[in-house]
Amino acid sequence: MTTMWELIGVWTAVFFTLAIYSFLYGENPWFRLAEHIFAGVSVGYAVAFNLDYLRDQWVNKWSLSGTLMLLYIIAILFGILWYARFTKQYFFAYRWTLAIIVGTGIGMALRTVIFTQFLNQIMAQARLSLWVPGDLLQSFSNTMIAIMVPCVLLYFWFTGPARDKAPMSYIEKFARYTMMAGFGAAFGYTVLTRYSLFIGRAQFLLGITPNPPEARMAFYVIAATILITLFAKDHLFKKT
Amino acid sequence: MSILDKMQRIDRRYIYLAAWIFVLFPLYYPLGLPVPIGRESKAWYNYIEAIPDDSVIIVSMDYGVSGMPELYPMTVATMHHLWDNCLERNWKIIVLAFWNQGPLVFDTLLSQIDPAAKYNVVYGEDWVELGWVPGSETGMAALATDMWGQTPRDYLEDRPLSEYPIMADIRTAEDVDLVISIETGTPGLPEWLRQWNDPFGVPFIVGCIGVSVPGMAPYLASGQLSALLPGLTASGEYELLLSRPGLAVAGLDAVSMSHLLVVLLVLIGNVAYFASRGKEAS
Amino acid sequence: MEIPILITAFCTLLQVIPYYLNIPVIDSASATMREWMLLVVNMAVFVGVISLGQVHGKRIQRRGENWPFSVVLMVFMVLMAIVGFPLESLGLGFKNAQYLFMFNNILNPLGGTMYSILAFFITSAAYRAFRARNWEAAFVLVSGTIVVMSNAPLFTSSLPFLITWKDWIFDVPNTATGRGVMIGAALGAIALAVRVLMGIERGYLRGGGEE
Repeated sequence: MTTMWELIGVWTAVFFTLAIYSFLYGENPWFRLAEHIFAGVSVGYAVAFNLDYLRDQWVNKWSLSGTLMLLYIIAILFGILWYARFTKQYFFAYRWTLAIIVGTGIGMALRTVIFTQFLNQIMAQARLSLWVPGDLLQSFSNTMIAIMVPCVLLYFWFTGPARDKAPMSYIEKFARYTMMAGFGAAFGYTVLTRYSLFIGRAQFLLGITPNPPEARMAFYVIAATILITLFAKDHLFKKT
Repeated sequence: MSILDKMQRIDRRYIYLAAWIFVLFPLYYPLGLPVPIGRESKAWYNYIEAIPDDSVIIVSMDYGVSGMPELYPMTVATMHHLWDNCLERNWKIIVLAFWNQGPLVFDTLLSQIDPAAKYNVVYGEDWVELGWVPGSETGMAALATDMWGQTPRDYLEDRPLSEYPIMADIRTAEDVDLVISIETGTPGLPEWLRQWNDPFGVPFIVGCIGVSVPGMAPYLASGQLSALLPGLTASGEYELLLSRPGLAVAGLDAVSMSHLLVVLLVLIGNVAYFASRGKEAS
Repeated sequence: MEIPILITAFCTLLQVIPYYLNIPVIDSASATMREWMLLVVNMAVFVGVISLGQVHGKRIQRRGENWPFSVVLMVFMVLMAIVGFPLESLGLGFKNAQYLFMFNNILNPLGGTMYSILAFFITSAAYRAFRARNWEAAFVLVSGTIVVMSNAPLFTSSLPFLITWKDWIFDVPNTATGRGVMIGAALGAIALAVRVLMGIERGYLRGGGEE
């Protein structure tokens, strides 16, 4: 049995879904309303989780000894400096906090990026067998990768007039074709994602299980209402 | 204006209308098209089947509402696969999130599936939910060295981790045997690899939105990523492998029809382009 | 300008050194620093609220274009923040019914739909702009169309070879492109990190705020 609140929730969700889709007809107040509410709710959402984390950390960890308490208080003080960015006079202090975050972040990434994104890829490249017995296609594919990767790298290394002369002119052309074929895959998967999102929302609008079945009626009513208002705005009010 | 010119200047809203029709029609009237199983979904299924007994598995909800329509079906299917084998294989499952909307997305899953009733798994013994860990990559690094420090209490019942038997021997990344990250972007696999795979050798499998799939290819080829479940089509195939058709399978006819529309439009657009170019040349 | 650069260098080295040298004191300090930093990060919780408040507050004050929508934005932002405030004794927090209502029925549909609308734009772009104007465009067009078709069971069930073709595109040109770009980007990231460490790169200290 659906409660009144659940029903209101379903109608609200259907309204916001369709308000966003109304943008397909053209810029309109329904979309503007939904867009602004989205921005407001998104920013407000994070407040709960961040503050909850700060409280939990204090209660369960940082209040357990004097040293930890002191460190927590210092963290809060440095945290307050985030808000110095809103003043001209104390903007310099905001940089201290930013420097901590940037420095630690760079340090975290720097210590292993050389392995995960550089050496491991080079090792994988070096491990390619150009001849796989009994598998001509795999041999061909591996040979192609062995040629394509250095070409792509050289393409980004040599820019400007260096690309105009052989052999770079050939390498550049081959690298471009490689990347274009690769970008085709990106296009294909982007189509899949965008339609998957749309299909997910369409399943909701039609109330397909496990979505609430009440959504379907709300879909018809709200879609008709929004469409009528959009047509009316375009055809009635513009002419008068 | 010739028909070729008209075709190239068609009001975009007709295309949008066609997209609505091509998606809604198969949802109203399912076509029941056969679904061939691809290698990715098979590899994902086989990988989970082959997880050794007594393994500690982290499932990381690294996405929010924006990725939910595409990733939620694979999350449901994967959790079903894990919970279903949890008791027999003595797997310990830890659910957490590096995206702050992750816990509430998982709440949606729990509102539709009650793991205790359906799979007889006990919260706190067989599985636990730790909630959101802030700080992206730094949070991952902090969690790797001190899981209890980063998430002193669980998410669902808000009790200290010491009260849960499952967490007794799980303190750092060294105690974890596999991470399953279901993700839309940053933080995601590159950050995980830098903080968990390289320093601690934890293996990874990733389910991701289609947009992220091409970027995963080098990690898959180098073996840093053990299996990949790419997008909704593969999710549908995985649901079929589990003999448990769900939202993804229900959407596959719409995927087919919408993709048919895109292919038709590309074809028509190019035919019109070449025909009008030929006409201009002549 | 020198103090932030020194702080950056110190924090960077504090994370990098213990990874390569086994010095327990520095190792422990590095771990504490990571956990401590997360507290500082979380203190930025109201930066977004204030920034958005400034922009829309000004618009409301000046009765600028669409200012009533700015009022709505502010109301929902404050409402969501208050309802989720972690004061369970007052019935607030992210587990209360109102917060969950707003998440499930406002944020969830808006977030999912906002990104799904791109499906329409990409379809329109596929029709209008995805043309084989030259060889490069033809490569994108052919491989893109194969991948689109391979993701649809309608095509793969009747033309199974499409799966093999897609696998080849994914394994060969796509992997090669990704690997080439990844190696280049890693080198770039290392170079940038070293520049920041040395104090040559200072752009990040502007931080997008007023100066």
